[in-house]
Amino acid sequence: MTMPPLLELRAISRRFGGLQALEDVSFGLQEGEIFGLIGPNGAGKTTLFNIITGVTRPSGGQVLWKQTGIEGLPPHRIHRLGLARTFQNLRLFESLSCLDNVQVGLGRSDRRRALELLALFGLQARAAEAAGGLAYGDRRRLEMARALASAPQLLLLDEPAAGLNPGEKQELSALIRRLAAELHLTVLIIEHHVPLMMQLCDRLAVLNFGRLIALGRPDAVRHDPLVIEAYLGGAGGAGGAGGAGGATEDPS
Amino acid sequence: MLDGSLLVQMLIGALLGLSVYLPLAAGQLSLATPGFMTVGGYVAALLSTRVAALGGAEPLYPLPSLLLELLLAAVVALALALLVGLPVLRLRGIYLAIATIALNEILRVVLLNNSWTGGAVGIFAIPQPFGDPLGYLAALAVLLLLAGATCQAIARHPLGRAMAAVRDDELAASCTGIDSFRIKLLAFAASAVLAALTGVLAAHFFNTWNARQGSFDASITTLAFVVFGGSRHWLGPVLGGLVLTALPELLRPVGDLRLVVFGAVILLGPLLFPQGVVTPALLQRLLP
Repeated sequence: MTMPPLLELRAISRRFGGLQALEDVSFGLQEGEIFGLIGPNGAGKTTLFNIITGVTRPSGGQVLWKQTGIEGLPPHRIHRLGLARTFQNLRLFESLSCLDNVQVGLGRSDRRRALELLALFGLQARAAEAAGGLAYGDRRRLEMARALASAPQLLLLDEPAAGLNPGEKQELSALIRRLAAELHLTVLIIEHHVPLMMQLCDRLAVLNFGRLIALGRPDAVRHDPLVIEAYLGGAGGAGGAGGAGGATEDPS
Repeated sequence: MLDGSLLVQMLIGALLGLSVYLPLAAGQLSLATPGFMTVGGYVAALLSTRVAALGGAEPLYPLPSLLLELLLAAVVALALALLVGLPVLRLRGIYLAIATIALNEILRVVLLNNSWTGGAVGIFAIPQPFGDPLGYLAALAVLLLLAGATCQAIARHPLGRAMAAVRDDELAASCTGIDSFRIKLLAFAASAVLAALTGVLAAHFFNTWNARQGSFDASITTLAFVVFGGSRHWLGPVLGGLVLTALPELLRPVGDLRLVVFGAVILLGPLLFPQGVVTPALLQRLLP
């Protein structure tokens, strides 16, 4: 790979009081890849998202977007560079209609484009409804529609499959693949459901206690002894993680 | 019972309601509306009584002088709003409410203790630009129409959506490309300017002006306009300002109980009408 990475993290660390949430994390995202970030709860995945999107400042290290440092920029400036995200705990504009949620993402009044985006997620019939009244799965999809409205180059998805049933998870996985291909997106995705990630991602990074413990293609990461130890607490052999990669705290 | 003078006060109430509504539409509580109104009133009172060249001695105060006062009051209010808003609005949370209470108090104490502003007595014999309440009614109606039309235009504009987005979830709004600091500052500045403009007209109308206009009671009264009327549509605070200004006058027999009425509105209003009397759903039913 001779192309410079689209997004590069260099020695990122973040300390919250006495807690070292992230320590010396470095990796890069190539344009067009679907990159997964996995790790046990509290490993620092969401903190890393917050640092990339300007919500949290890193205590040390650099975030390079197209080889320019963006750490320390406010979130709205980073968004305008072409990075859009969703949130683990769904943060919609509850009192606004679905249409208006997407138009906020667009940054302008464009009903037709907003309806197209809603249609992409099967939400066109809900356009006039307030986001706060939607069913859970629809809320997840609306958040993705809002994030995509600004035509980002990098889409950061924080546990997009959380709370979805197995059928919905498969649909979501197919949708992410399709969107990435059609919109030439690079995707950085946090997800607990390891089998889904193995099948969806081109590469995976594994965080544990704020440190990057593995990085590579899914089949390599799956057999990495450090990863197996992180997920099984040191008791597992290769067989434990071998099967469906089902070694996760969320077996659903 | 609805004489011209009460109608003038009702329009003043509606304008103050809008002034409280504007920052609330972006999720910010400003209690400084009476403070900015006081400032606007002092600009008018000082200029018209101290600057002879403006024509204060003439039987009717010249309208160009009134326009000049409006312009100057807007500039002073804007400067004050920036002074308070620039440091405070970078933070998320309730800090604007706290800072605006402080601003009200500082203004009140400074104006009360300054001989230049008439001290505790204030300024009286403020010249009249209009011969009867009808003139004030017309001037305030024009201001209310302009302010209402602006609010209506904003609601359909990306700016209105951005304000609502900041109100609903400021962090998500920032991550969706909205400069929430700018939006909040804009709404607060608009609120300050509107209150100051209202103050200019009110000072001339009341003929005398003093620091008590900006008391904490007044902050709560103007807040009640929005609580009663609703904060989800600009017509809410307008209705709240009109009704709650008229109510105590119409209930004059109960006298001092007017404050109890306001207290009751703030207590019972949210219970009976959680979103105020005017809600988007109600408007949709009335104006299909």
